[in-house]
Amino acid sequence: MTKRLLITAALAATLAGPALANSLVAPGPVPRIARSTLSAVPGTEWNRLSARGGKNVEIWTLDGDELNKVTFYGGVLVGDTLFRAADRKNAPLPKVTPNMLITDIPALLESSYRSQYNTTQMSIDSQEPTLVAGHKGIKFTYSFVRQDDELQRKGEAVGAFVGDRLYLVSYEAPAIHFFDKDVASFRQLATTLKF
Amino acid sequence: MKMIAFLRAAIVAAAMLVSAPVLAQEKTGLKPGFALAPNARIVLMRPSIKVGAQSTGGMFEPNADWTAQARDNIGKALQSTQVRLGNRVTPYDDAAGNDPVLLGQYQNLFKTLAGSVIEFQFFPGNRLPTKVRKGKFNWSIGQEVTRLPGLAGADYALFINTEDHYGSAGRKALQIFGAMAGVGIKSGLHIGYAGLIDLKTGELVWLNADQQMGGDVRDAVGATKRVNQLLEGFPAASTAVASAR
Repeated sequence: MTKRLLITAALAATLAGPALANSLVAPGPVPRIARSTLSAVPGTEWNRLSARGGKNVEIWTLDGDELNKVTFYGGVLVGDTLFRAADRKNAPLPKVTPNMLITDIPALLESSYRSQYNTTQMSIDSQEPTLVAGHKGIKFTYSFVRQDDELQRKGEAVGAFVGDRLYLVSYEAPAIHFFDKDVASFRQLATTLKF
Repeated sequence: MKMIAFLRAAIVAAAMLVSAPVLAQEKTGLKPGFALAPNARIVLMRPSIKVGAQSTGGMFEPNADWTAQARDNIGKALQSTQVRLGNRVTPYDDAAGNDPVLLGQYQNLFKTLAGSVIEFQFFPGNRLPTKVRKGKFNWSIGQEVTRLPGLAGADYALFINTEDHYGSAGRKALQIFGAMAGVGIKSGLHIGYAGLIDLKTGELVWLNADQQMGGDVRDAVGATKRVNQLLEGFPAASTAVASAR
């Protein structure tokens, strides 16, 4: 976070370019999320961040993505990673493989986080089969501590494979206050997903 | 992580440049209409202090001795400043059956909250649409903060966070060579946040944050300068309340 803010401040003083502001997500149907066929019908307002993190990634938040974050992974193809690797050479990310099962989705997220965020404390706390947008999928909960801010966070996600694409939507927030504050809005959102 | 941070920051910075007519980053936020009651009781949470060296490559290398010196110096400077704040300020009682793990998590959460305020409030072009509409300064750490032992009877909690990375000899040499080659390389990072939490609501009512703090916290004079800078704009009862930005 510290480094991110410093870089932000430094670049703000030197760059010029087109407008890329965060945008409002109003309640109601939202098509083409994460540049994909993924759609949802949120019941409450969210903010869509201009920053992404991957070609099929879109992030919604209410108080900033460090405090609450819904991440849409919209149809990640076999052979691709969930998100863009920060250091492909020294910390490569696992890829979606053709023989992957829905029960492998939590482990894929976990190993991706361990590599990308130097997360040493992460656990999948529960997982159960569920229907996601009418497809056989998985719902799971997890918790983790990132090395950079040492803050305990909780997460909840639903995922499914449709053909050779992985669709995954997760919600994460600090365990104190923030997770409980908005998890109901995420759960409502998750029931409206369509691929 | 570094690349993600860089790319993300580049996008954010580009956005800010166009949507904000004035690019200056704000450093202080105050909840609109907030005024500190003259007899308000403020608990000064144990400051989170990190001091170390910045390696040639820019990595942070913690230094326990410097951190201990800074903790001592900043503690004394805060003690002498409490009178100036004009309110009943008491240090957080670390003993007496308190919960150090929960306290540590709140300190981490405050730092993260402050970081979000800086990123999404103090850079006007990067604000979140729902936040802008709901109020000019609408941030909270959560009402559950009252669960922290040691806060009974208090009205506000004052959180302080400082982080200093002093450029190593190698980093400074790199900075000189970079300058000769026309490449700007920064040596040293000195950031600090101070924030006031309303213990009835969990709302952040005031935040002062600067990523280019002055004062060498390893000596007493520098620590006093740092504390004064951290508390700039503190909404003391005797101070006129400025309008929220």
